Amino acid sequence: MPHQCVRCNTIYDDGAEEILKGCKCGGRLFFYIKKNKLKEVKEKTAKLSEKEKEEIEKDVFELVGTDVKEGDPVILDIESIRVLKPGKYELDLVHLFKNEPLIFKLEEGKYMVDLAATFKDIFKGKKKK
Amino acid sequence: MGFFQNFINKFFKNLFKGKGQVKLGLYGPPNAGKSTLANAICKDWLGEEMSAVSNVAHETREIVIKEQVNIKSKDGKKELAFNLVDTPGIATKIDYEDFVKTGMKAKKAKKRAKEATKGVVDAIKWLDDMDAVTIVLDATKDPYSQVNITIVGNLAARNIPVLLVANKIDLKKSDIKKIQDAFPQYDVVGISAKYGKKIQDFYDALFKVVK
Repeated sequence: MPHQCVRCNTIYDDGAEEILKGCKCGGRLFFYIKKNKLKEVKEKTAKLSEKEKEEIEKDVFELVGTDVKEGDPVILDIESIRVLKPGKYELDLVHLFKNEPLIFKLEEGKYMVDLAATFKDIFKGKKKK
Repeated sequence: MGFFQNFINKFFKNLFKGKGQVKLGLYGPPNAGKSTLANAICKDWLGEEMSAVSNVAHETREIVIKEQVNIKSKDGKKELAFNLVDTPGIATKIDYEDFVKTGMKAKKAKKRAKEATKGVVDAIKWLDDMDAVTIVLDATKDPYSQVNITIVGNLAARNIPVLLVANKIDLKKSDIKKIQDAFPQYDVVGISAKYGKKIQDFYDALFKVVK
């Protein structure tokens, strides 16, 4: 499946070195795109300004939570959540309810697919009254 | 790894789950009145409120838990103890511009949108922990929305006991029957959480659903 660097829009195939180490442009956030949606996503992200891209990047890293170490690339499964403009989110509930991994985090060259569960750990018990 | 972790967590949770530690989740779309109902329950039985409420959608963006809520049946013979879990509203689209329209500044609205998105993910993840769920729907709105159908369908698939609440029956536009028709497999209780109307019916229905 193709991965698109949010910052420079470059598309990488599965297993590309850049996805593991970060994009050549320095970007660390990738959208994970299904092939049949590639054209649509490409068009939408091409219209984003530099500032908007930076904002999305920042928001997504915050959404991921504190578990992501600085420098680790993050891949957002846009089948579940789309953030194609800052502050505008589209959620695919069917995907989310299936408990499919929301975010793929890479560590030592491997996918960590259980990151969504960390949301629960982060917030569990946080707001008990 | 995730599977075994879940299994171990569940095993220990069940092992130490004492009587009366039922987790009752309030789920539903934004602005249906989940937090208003949570407050009504807590006011009735604990004498205090638990969540902030607002006319602007996505006021609740984090899970809020009130532990040890004890309710009694009308005749006082039965007692039900549970932890009440108020959850963020589940939505398919969260757009900061909707908040801006209410007079919010863009920066604050974007933050709210981000937190609300996180809230949806969080609410869904917490479903696994619920022993029973009350789905709160706005009785003035069309029940055949993707959000409602997805929530109800998923709870049915998970075998979690469900009570459907048609809220806002104090409003003229409300239509309990429409909700009943949309989800005929469930009992629907019409209430006004804001004014405490028919809330006793809700408690009676809870005793039937949570056993």
